[in-house]
Amino acid sequence: MTDETISFPDAPRSQLDTALADLVERAHGVMETQGRLRALLRANQAVVELMELPQVLHRIVEVAVELVDARFGALGVISPSGELEQFIHVGLTDSDVEAIGHLPVGHGLLGALIDDPRAIRLSHISDDPRSSGFPAHHPPMDTFLGVPIRVRDKVFGNLYLSNRSTGEFTADDEQLVKSLAGTAGFAIENARLYAETRRRQAWAAASAEITAAMLSADGDDPLAILLERLLMLAEADLVALTAQAFPGDEIEVTAAHGAAADPLIGRRFPATETVAGRVFDGGQPLLVNEGSAFHVEVPAHDSGPVMALPLTAGGLVQAVLVITRARGRQSFDAADLDMAADFADQASVALELIKSRTAQQLVLVQEDRARIARDLHDHVIQQLFGTGLQLQSIAGATDGATGKKIIESVSNIDGAIAQIRTAIFALAMPRTGESVTVRHRLIDLVTEMTLSLGRAPTIEFSGPVDLVVTGSLADDVLAVAREALTNTARHARAEMSSMRLTADGTAIQLTVDDDGHGIGEPTRRSGLSNLEARAHARGGSCTVDSGPTGTRVTWRVPAPELSARS
Amino acid sequence: MTDSIRVFLVDDHEIVRRGIADLLNAEPDMDVVGEAPDAAQAIGRIAATVPDVAVLDVRLPDGSGIDLCRDIRSQHPGVRCLILTAYDDDEAINAAVLAGASGYVLKDVRGSGLIEAIRKVASGRSLIDPSLSRRVVEKIEAESAEDPRLGSLSLRESQILALIADGLTNRQIGLELGLAEKTIKNYVSGLLSKLGLQRRTQAAILRLGRRPAGDE
Repeated sequence: MTDETISFPDAPRSQLDTALADLVERAHGVMETQGRLRALLRANQAVVELMELPQVLHRIVEVAVELVDARFGALGVISPSGELEQFIHVGLTDSDVEAIGHLPVGHGLLGALIDDPRAIRLSHISDDPRSSGFPAHHPPMDTFLGVPIRVRDKVFGNLYLSNRSTGEFTADDEQLVKSLAGTAGFAIENARLYAETRRRQAWAAASAEITAAMLSADGDDPLAILLERLLMLAEADLVALTAQAFPGDEIEVTAAHGAAADPLIGRRFPATETVAGRVFDGGQPLLVNEGSAFHVEVPAHDSGPVMALPLTAGGLVQAVLVITRARGRQSFDAADLDMAADFADQASVALELIKSRTAQQLVLVQEDRARIARDLHDHVIQQLFGTGLQLQSIAGATDGATGKKIIESVSNIDGAIAQIRTAIFALAMPRTGESVTVRHRLIDLVTEMTLSLGRAPTIEFSGPVDLVVTGSLADDVLAVAREALTNTARHARAEMSSMRLTADGTAIQLTVDDDGHGIGEPTRRSGLSNLEARAHARGGSCTVDSGPTGTRVTWRVPAPELSARS
Repeated sequence: MTDSIRVFLVDDHEIVRRGIADLLNAEPDMDVVGEAPDAAQAIGRIAATVPDVAVLDVRLPDGSGIDLCRDIRSQHPGVRCLILTAYDDDEAINAAVLAGASGYVLKDVRGSGLIEAIRKVASGRSLIDPSLSRRVVEKIEAESAEDPRLGSLSLRESQILALIADGLTNRQIGLELGLAEKTIKNYVSGLLSKLGLQRRTQAAILRLGRRPAGDE
């Protein structure tokens, strides 16, 4: 048996040897495969354990390079326009990168993979007809493996590997990298969702914060805050708020924040050629990335991706927010638009609230003023008037100096009543609105002139001035009053000045007095000749009595014919 | 004694009535024959005293002096009315014209010439320049037309307003238009409530409420 056992014929023996050798080799192969599978598992794990997209992308390249023992690796992210918008690379030194000067945009072989997303495996890059060659200073690359990365059936980008350390890339390498690309797709999707969630959170937080800030804003301009936050949240370069007076009208930039914002404010653009105009028209948020057929330039600078969002109230577009990034920057995506639109909706509500709150406060102020005016009328004037009447009766029964003194006091009371009456008028009427009367305009003029005069002139009205002094006559009266007061302010060095407008059915007269040292030289009278001209044009007269103790300008014209009223 | 002008005072401020009474009683040709602090009391007392001149504040605690004045003029055409007001001339002349008063006097102690005004009015003269009455009517019509909340005056209202401006009493207007005095009174009340919105304090709030959103 022993002989037998050692006397196997050559052939079977060698067969056995072969089988053994085969087995050993297979065992090696299995071990190697197991090793590679383990490496793939490790790689998969490494790729999915990160959350931030930029890190995920970088990790994918790193593990791919390690997995197939390549010298260089890169991941190109494809933009909506079909070029490479990001290029993450491993293996190149900083000086290599600097020497090459620019990152690939997706031509040649890299572009081939974009056009036809199927794996490409080459022994020599330069032999392939699709290769467009390398730029100067590019390190030599020979063997090549390119695999697309899909995210939800859409090609996200490509994984490029080159210069395997030994030999060329094998079919196994291709399988492994394809498998890794599958995992990478999920990891990218995951990171994107994570990033989107975080962005949504940031928008929501900012939205709540801004709404709160706007509703409690005491001095800060809520719009300024809004624009500032939008710029930050949308990672934009410029945010502009536009308004349109009526449909189809030009749109105007009413506020802007960001790059080159200031010169934009107040500029007007044709509605038909702008994104903002289209949103005013359609009332829906609009997203326009590069390559759009129509102008997007609300911003005057070279803009890239644009989002335009309506601010609506009562179903009407009140304003449109235009958010832009500079050309060449990352596109806005649907999620960006979605979040920004939500934000704009909330801002609309807050802005409406602010508006109605302001109006309400205005009403309160107005009511308060009206109440004060009523009190002055109902109590103060009546008391003064009654007291004055009694004093006058007493004066009538009193002889000589005392009676005279009482009468003087009564005159002072009358003066006070006239002042209060003017105050009531000023308090009780709104300063805006269509029917601004001559009384208002004179009161406003006096308020305006008080600074240059040093002391508020007293102003008195007699007769139904608002009834008689209207239209161009009111304009004349205002011009005359302004000229006379200006003269007083410039030349007279007066302590006191007063103005009185009287009107009845036949004539109107404006008198302006001061206690200064007179208007003096004739050169100063040029403005006054203008007053004369205005009076003569209406068949009236203007006289100036000026002396060292004061000046009186008297401007008198006949009341206009009824039919001639404007 | 028979030539003495008999005056009735309506003002809700006692101090004002007191002051005017003192002033008038000091005049040899004037007698204050009665006073009332509000419209309700004024109507009865005026009916009882039938004065030559009634001096009325436009603003009374129980209603408008304008309504009171028109009632007095309709019921006692011989009683002349003078509107007394602490508002300015523009407000006063509107009130006087609408009330069918013979004139108005501002609450100015010396400037108003109250005594002179009473004498003139008692002698049957009107203190209101007819051109100014026409302006008042024109202005009221213009303001009504431009204020959508007031609505333009109806043809009837415009007719009545014009007759008011001519100084006709409610009774006279009724005869002129072939309508009952009560109907005219209702029209006038309607007119006044429309125009009442023009009163300054209310008008201020009305205007504010009407401002379109986004006006700032």
